[in-house]
Amino acid sequence: MDLALTDEQKARKQEFYDTCKELEKKKPPNFLGFETIYEDDECWEYNLSCAKEFAKKGWLALGWPPEYGGKGDMMDRVLFAEARGYHSVPGVDIFGVQMLAPTLLQAASEGVKKEFLPPIAQGEVMWCELWSEPNAGSDLASLSTTAMRKGDEYVINGQKTWNTGALKADWGFGVFKTDPAGRKHHNMTFILLDMKTPGVTIRPIPYLDGHAPYCEVYFDDVRVPAKNIVGQEHEGWAVVNLLAGFERSGINEIMTMIRGLEDLVQFCNQTKRHGQPLAKDPLTRNRLAELACQLEAARALAYRVADLQNRNEMSLMDASAGKIFFSELGERFAFVATDILGPYGQVKTSRWAPMNGVWERMFHEHFITTVSMGTNEIQRNIIAWYGLGLPRIR
Amino acid sequence: MDLRFTETQEILKKMARDFLTTECPKTLVRKLEQSDEGYSPELWKKMAELGWMGLIIPEEYGGMGYTFQDLVILLEEIGRNILPGPLVATVTSTLLILEAGTEEQKKELLPKIARGEVILTTALLEAEGVFDAAGISVKATPKGDNFVIDGTKLFVEMAHVANHIICVTRTKDSTAPEKGITLFIVDPKATGISHEVIPTIAADKLCEVHFRDVTVRKSNMLGKLDEGWPIVEMMLRKGAIAKCAESLGAIETCVEMTVAYSKERVQYERPIGAFQALQHKMADMWTAMETSRYLVYEVAWMESQGLPCAKEASMAKSYVNEVYKDVAKWAVRLHGAIATSADHDIPFYYRRSKAADIAFGNTDFHREIVAQKIGLA
Repeated sequence: MDLALTDEQKARKQEFYDTCKELEKKKPPNFLGFETIYEDDECWEYNLSCAKEFAKKGWLALGWPPEYGGKGDMMDRVLFAEARGYHSVPGVDIFGVQMLAPTLLQAASEGVKKEFLPPIAQGEVMWCELWSEPNAGSDLASLSTTAMRKGDEYVINGQKTWNTGALKADWGFGVFKTDPAGRKHHNMTFILLDMKTPGVTIRPIPYLDGHAPYCEVYFDDVRVPAKNIVGQEHEGWAVVNLLAGFERSGINEIMTMIRGLEDLVQFCNQTKRHGQPLAKDPLTRNRLAELACQLEAARALAYRVADLQNRNEMSLMDASAGKIFFSELGERFAFVATDILGPYGQVKTSRWAPMNGVWERMFHEHFITTVSMGTNEIQRNIIAWYGLGLPRIR
Repeated sequence: MDLRFTETQEILKKMARDFLTTECPKTLVRKLEQSDEGYSPELWKKMAELGWMGLIIPEEYGGMGYTFQDLVILLEEIGRNILPGPLVATVTSTLLILEAGTEEQKKELLPKIARGEVILTTALLEAEGVFDAAGISVKATPKGDNFVIDGTKLFVEMAHVANHIICVTRTKDSTAPEKGITLFIVDPKATGISHEVIPTIAADKLCEVHFRDVTVRKSNMLGKLDEGWPIVEMMLRKGAIAKCAESLGAIETCVEMTVAYSKERVQYERPIGAFQALQHKMADMWTAMETSRYLVYEVAWMESQGLPCAKEASMAKSYVNEVYKDVAKWAVRLHGAIATSADHDIPFYYRRSKAADIAFGNTDFHREIVAQKIGLA
C-alpha cells in the first residue's frame, strides 16, 4: 500500500492549486459555490472564464485518450478536482466534462465522439441533464417522455424536471422512451439534443430559498437527428448506469468542506464570546474536531474510490458509501456551523453575514447532494442488494 | 498511489486469518475470559513461532523487521477474532524500548520478546484516569544508584502475568506537567509490588499495581531522566493506531455476522434481511466500516513512512471509537434478543467496543488533540 504521489504528480498538483488559487481571487461577490453559477449572470460569466482558462491548459480533458485531445491520467483528474474543491472554483461542467465525456468515450460511436468531445474539452459547450420526470424520480426507469423514431429523426414529447442549469446550458443529454411497448430497462434511448431546438420550453423551479438553479423542461414535437444517440437504440438504461458510475469519489465536495472548516476555525479564533475567543469554548472545540475526523474519513474513502476508478475496478458499493457519507457529512457540517455562528447563522450574503453567508446557504444547499444523483436511500439499497447480497422484495 | 496490499501483506493477512480461525475459536475466547490468566501460554508460544511478537522488531534483534503498516494488518485480523491476551500490551511496550532503549536494553529484551519468552506491559494511568502528563503522580526518587518508586498505577493491562512493567513515573515537579516524567523497566516480582485484577466490561485483565518503595536500578531507566513524556506520546499515538486496527477487524466481524444472520433468520415468512428497515441499517454499518478502514490504513501508512501524523492518528482513534461502539450496538439490535445472551458471540464485540474506546485515549481526549492540530486557539 502506497499513498504517496510521484514527483510529477506533486508538481501537477501544485500547478492545479496555484491556478485555482488565482482564479478564486476573481470570484464575483455573489459566488457561493457551484450552484450559484446557474442563479446569477455574473457567476455564470465567472464559470465560463474559468472553463476557458482550464481548457487552455487541457485540463477539461484529463484522462482522455490522446486522440480526442486528452492529457494526463485519471489521477490528475482527482488532484484537479481536489484543487478546485479547496478553492471552490467552477469551470468544470459537471454534466459535460464530468458525466457525459467519460460516457461518450466508453459508449458512443466514433462520429458522436468526434462531434461532441472537442467542444467539451474547449469549454465551449455547456450541458445539462434530462433524466427525472414528475413521475419518475428514484424509479427513473418508469419514465414516460417519448422519443419516437420518424425517418432519421426522433420526435420528443413529454416533460423532464429537476434539470440543474437547463436555462444556461447549450446542450442536454437525457433518456427517453423509444419503445413504449418494450420491456422495462430495454425501452429507452440515451439522446443528445440542442436546448435551442424548437419545441423545447424551459421554466425555472424556485428552490426553497427562492433561487432557481433547477428547471423543468417541456418537449413539444422536438425533432432530434437520429445520429445523436449514445449506445444502442432502446438500450439507454445501460448508458445511464455507466454514467452514474463516473466521478463519484466526492473529493471535490470534501475539499470544499475541508476549506470551509479552515475558514470556520479562523473565525472562531478571531471572534470573541464571553470575553475570550470562541475557539476556547470546549463544546465548539469538540464539535469542530468531530467534523474534522469525519472529513478525514471521507477523504480517505474518496481516495479509495478514486484509486479503484483509476484501475477500472469501480466498486458500486464503495461509491455509494462515499456518496452517502460525504453528503450527510455536509448536512451535519451545515448544522454545526450555523449553531456555532449563533444568530449570525441565519444571515444571507450581506454585511452581517460571517464568511459571506456561506453557512446560511449550506444549511439548505446540502439537499443537492443527499437527494440528487440517486437519493441516499437508493444508495443504501444499492449497498444492501448488490453489495451485501440481501434479498430484494419486488 | 496504490491502495492495494503488497504480496507480503496479503500472505501475512491470510496466514493470520487461517491460524486464528483454527486456533482461536470463540470457545477458547470464552474460556480465557473466565480464566485467571486471561491468555493461553500455549497459543502465545505458537504466535511467537509465527513471529508476531517480533513482527516490527528489527532482524538484528531477532525480529521479523516488518513495517508498522504490516503490524496494523495483523492486528486487524486479531481484532476480527478478538484474541485475548497480552499481544497489544507487549507490542506497544516494545515500541518504547525500540524508541528509547539503550543498546544493552535492546539486546537483552528484544530477542526474548520476539521469541515469546517475556510479556511486557506499560503502567501509565493513575487514579485520575487521564491520558495526559498531568495525571502522572507516582514518584520515583533517586537513592544512590537506584530509584525508589512509590504509588499506585491503574488499568495496567495484563500486569498480573507480565515479566516486565514499564512504569511511567514523575521524577520532578514542574509547572509544565510534560517535564519531569521518567520511564523505568520494573520487575513485577520485585519487593514492594503487588497487583490485583480489576473487574472490567471486556474481562481483559486490567490491573491495579501498587508500588510500595520499590527499588529500581538506574540502569533500568528507559530513555532520559525527566524527558520521558515524548516517548509516551509516541506510544500513545502508535498504540491508538494499533487499537484502531484491532477495532476495524472487530467491526468487520460485527457487520459480517449481522448480514449473515439476517439472511437466515425468518420472520413473517421471509428472511429479516429482506426488510428495508434492517437493510439500510446494515448499509450504514458497512459504510461506517469502509470509512474507518481507509482512515486507519492511511494513518498506518503515514506512521510507517515516518511522516508526522499526530493529528491523523487522533482523528482515526476518535472516529473508529465511535464507529465500533455504534456498529457493535446495531449488531446486537439487529440480531435481537438472541444477541443479548452471554452464550452468543456478538456480546464479546459489544463489550470490547467500550474497552477499545478507552484504551490509548477515548474520543474526547483525541478530539481535543485534533482541535489543537486544526488550529483552534
